[in-house]
Amino acid sequence: MATEEDITYDRSLLGAEHHIGTFPITREMILDFAKSTAETHPLYSDEVQAKASKYGSLIAPPTLCNIFVDGLKRPDIKLTFGDVGLFASQAIENVSPIRPGDTLEAKTYLKEVYEKTGRSGKMVFVVWETRFTNQHGDTAVFVRDSFVRRNNPKK
Amino acid sequence: MNDEIYYEDVEIGDDIESIERTVSLEQVRAFLAIRGGVKEPSRFTDEAFARSEGLPYAIVPGALNSAMLAQLLTSWSPTVYLKKFEVSFRRPVPHNTELELKGVITAKQVVDHEPQIDCDVFIESEEGTVHVIGHATVVLPMQSN
Repeated sequence: MATEEDITYDRSLLGAEHHIGTFPITREMILDFAKSTAETHPLYSDEVQAKASKYGSLIAPPTLCNIFVDGLKRPDIKLTFGDVGLFASQAIENVSPIRPGDTLEAKTYLKEVYEKTGRSGKMVFVVWETRFTNQHGDTAVFVRDSFVRRNNPKK
Repeated sequence: MNDEIYYEDVEIGDDIESIERTVSLEQVRAFLAIRGGVKEPSRFTDEAFARSEGLPYAIVPGALNSAMLAQLLTSWSPTVYLKKFEVSFRRPVPHNTELELKGVITAKQVVDHEPQIDCDVFIESEEGTVHVIGHATVVLPMQSN
C-alpha cells in the first residue's frame, strides 16, 4: 500500500497480470448479443449469410467481450477514495475473429491510477488492460477500460 | 445496410450515415441478462437506485453504448472491418430517449498495405447533448485490389 498525491491503493498490482476467467463462446451468445443491441450486420446475426462469408460462420460482434469485461472480478486495488464508481472510457482492438465454439481466456493487469479534478470535484481513474486469447493461444481482443471513482454528491 | 464501400470512395470530412436508437428498459434488461452478475436494483434498471448514487436517472450500460457505436460503423457497409475503437462516456445515457449516432471521417491512410479509415463518432440526444464520444479505425478494401 502506498500514497501518492492523496491516492491510496495497492501499488503492487500495477503491471501484475491476473487470469480472470474462461469464456466459452456459443452461437446463442452471439445471436442474443446481436438481438439485445439491435445488431443487423449479417456476420453477427444471420447464420446463413455468415456461413457464405469469408469467415465461414457467425463471428462475434466487435464489442462482445464487453459483456465479460464488465462482470469480471478483478483484484481489489484497495482504493480508499470515492463511493461511486462509473465506467469512464474504453478502447478495443480486434486482432482476430471470435467464432462459436471458441474458448477465450482473459488476463488483465492494472495499467495506471491517476486523479483529475472536474466540475464535480476530485475524481480518481483506474485503468485496466485485458487480453483475450483463444484456445489456439492467438490473441483475439485487447480491451482497455477506465473506471472513475468519485464521491456521491447525494451524501 | 449500405452497398459495398471501398477505400477510394471516402474522403476526409465525409459523414458516416447516422443511425437512430432509443433504448428501452426491456432492451437494457436483455443486455444485462447476457452479461449476468448484475444485482437488482441497479443503476441501469431502477430510477430511485440510480438517484441514490447521484445519477440523474437510470442509465444505459456503457457496454451497450459501445455496442451501438460499433454498429454505426459495422452497419455503414458490409465491407467494414472494425479494427480499433475507443469511447469516452461524457454524460449518462438515459432510457427511452431518441439518440442519434453519427460519425465523420478524420483521416485515411495505408498502413502495412492495409487501407485504414479513422473516424470520430458520437452519441447525441435530441436536444444536441453529446453523451458519448469516440474514435475508431476501420479497414476498407481497395477497389483496385
